[in-house]
Amino acid sequence: MLKLDKGRLGDFLQTLCRGRAVYALEQDGDQYHLVRAEAWDPERHVLGAYRPVEPLKSLVFPPRERVGAPAALAEAEGAAESIVVGAKNCDVSALRIHDFVLRETAPADPYYALAREKTLIVSCDCTDAREVCFCPAVGEQPYVKEGSDINLAATPEGILVEALSRRGADLLRRAAPGLPPADEALAAARDAQRARVGELVRERAASRGLKRDADLRKAVRGTEEHGLWDEFAEDCVECGACNLACCTCHCFLLADGRDADGRPARLRQWDSCLYLNFARVAGGANPRRRRAARLYNRFDKKFNFFPEVLGRYACDGCGRCAEACTGRIDIRDVLKRALDAA
Amino acid sequence: MQPDPYAPMPAAIVDVFAETPNIKTFRLRPEAPVPFRAGQFVELSVPGLGEAPFTPSSAPSVADTMEITIMRVGLVTERLHALKPGAVVGVRGPLGKPYPLEAMRGREVLVVGGGVGLAPLRALLFALFEDVTAYRKIILRYGARTPSDLVYRGALDDLWGMADAVDAMLTVDRRDDGWTGHEGVVTTILEPGRLTCDARNGVAVVCGPPIMMKFTTVKLLDLGYAPDRIYLSMEKNMSCGIGKCGHCRLGAYYACQDGPVFTFDKVQGLSRIWD
Repeated sequence: MLKLDKGRLGDFLQTLCRGRAVYALEQDGDQYHLVRAEAWDPERHVLGAYRPVEPLKSLVFPPRERVGAPAALAEAEGAAESIVVGAKNCDVSALRIHDFVLRETAPADPYYALAREKTLIVSCDCTDAREVCFCPAVGEQPYVKEGSDINLAATPEGILVEALSRRGADLLRRAAPGLPPADEALAAARDAQRARVGELVRERAASRGLKRDADLRKAVRGTEEHGLWDEFAEDCVECGACNLACCTCHCFLLADGRDADGRPARLRQWDSCLYLNFARVAGGANPRRRRAARLYNRFDKKFNFFPEVLGRYACDGCGRCAEACTGRIDIRDVLKRALDAA
Repeated sequence: MQPDPYAPMPAAIVDVFAETPNIKTFRLRPEAPVPFRAGQFVELSVPGLGEAPFTPSSAPSVADTMEITIMRVGLVTERLHALKPGAVVGVRGPLGKPYPLEAMRGREVLVVGGGVGLAPLRALLFALFEDVTAYRKIILRYGARTPSDLVYRGALDDLWGMADAVDAMLTVDRRDDGWTGHEGVVTTILEPGRLTCDARNGVAVVCGPPIMMKFTTVKLLDLGYAPDRIYLSMEKNMSCGIGKCGHCRLGAYYACQDGPVFTFDKVQGLSRIWD
């Protein structure tokens, strides 16, 4: 654990990012956007108090990517190394889902594996929370414990810099050889801040009926036939925004078409399980013809399937789906209703 | 360069056989052999148009070519049906799990097919025929809507030369003037008098349209088959074929990885499995 003076943050990040494509946060009102840049720009870029609008997954699992052809794979292999600065825990933790599905489940998706290898993640502690944040209810916390390469905790006492991976440690040694060890005051400031923001977001989740140790798996599994899914599905317009905004959703479509030169081209593009034809087969059979069944399926996948196969929820409490939903379906309300009904 | 599981291998169509007015069998020769086992499937693509999952219907022991029996029901199959020998399609696979032949050895195997559902079962029958004495008895019960909907019609009389080894019976839902065989849905030839089986020790393998699989499963349970010895083809929307795209989830399973063949005990607790 190292100490960085606030005044040196810009220089530090410029050095850290050198030679790589940079993804950073830009503030826009009370939101942040994940943007691409050539270099870290202290005038434009910030660490961010909480997660941006765009999920981190989009950097390693793009919304739409050419796959299935030697030229596509060569392009992925030749892609520039990149670094993202300001990733928050919800997004970093969500990559466990993508790692499991795309990289660890054989055969590996080489496009994802390459992008993961080429992307360094510099995370930082949340210093505030959005109204929709509820990460403690799904067993998460507003700071990274593992999964990024370097973590920054910006406190009034300075910035605590911590390497969380071997390559993070290597980069720190090369890019910032002179950083002193973090002193006790800085460590205490970080811990106090983590406790404060943790309490803030815990209270917000609890005020919506979502306690830290709630058994969401039991709640979802036990309500499949309950009317609550029909009630919430009344407001769903099947736009798929929840899936696209989600930090964990991984489903995709292999779409065949032709490129500008008329050659066959295959795209791997994000899909939505709320779409009517998501599970339909060519013969016409569709196990989820009803919208309520599709809405239930989304929660079943996140709160039942992934606990079964990976031992964790596929939800990190980022609240993006609640902000993105055209029908104003709030995941916190859905989970609360399921908890009450189960 | 690493292997790309989304990349299809070019495969030439070397022959096309019309089975019924809307079903054809295509013999393909992939650029390199695709050594599949009975029950495994492949993703077959028309370049630039789309891809769909099919279970090969030919003998798994023949490695350089494979036959795939395809009903015309959608965009990809419509285009496939228009293709002639010489055309090149794409193949990815083999994918999924094969029929567990080892669990069938020493047992009686009851094979129940409906319509084009006989296609994957034909690959299974060929695999069983290769070591025919290893199984106590092979029974085939096959039904289609009308006589002209029966696939492999030219081979059904002598069952690819293995008629002596198989207790076979066919049925059609609706007879026509030329049909002298049984009339009735496939479950009617699973009735006592038309079927003598060892349900207690035997295994049953079913493939057909969802409604046929549903009523056949009910019948097999009535006959006394154990849920873990009834093998069902749960062919969901298997798109990527490698457990990633999420389309074919069935409870805690992906049909493309854990199936497409499941024993009934694995899926009986799930809702809407026959939809």
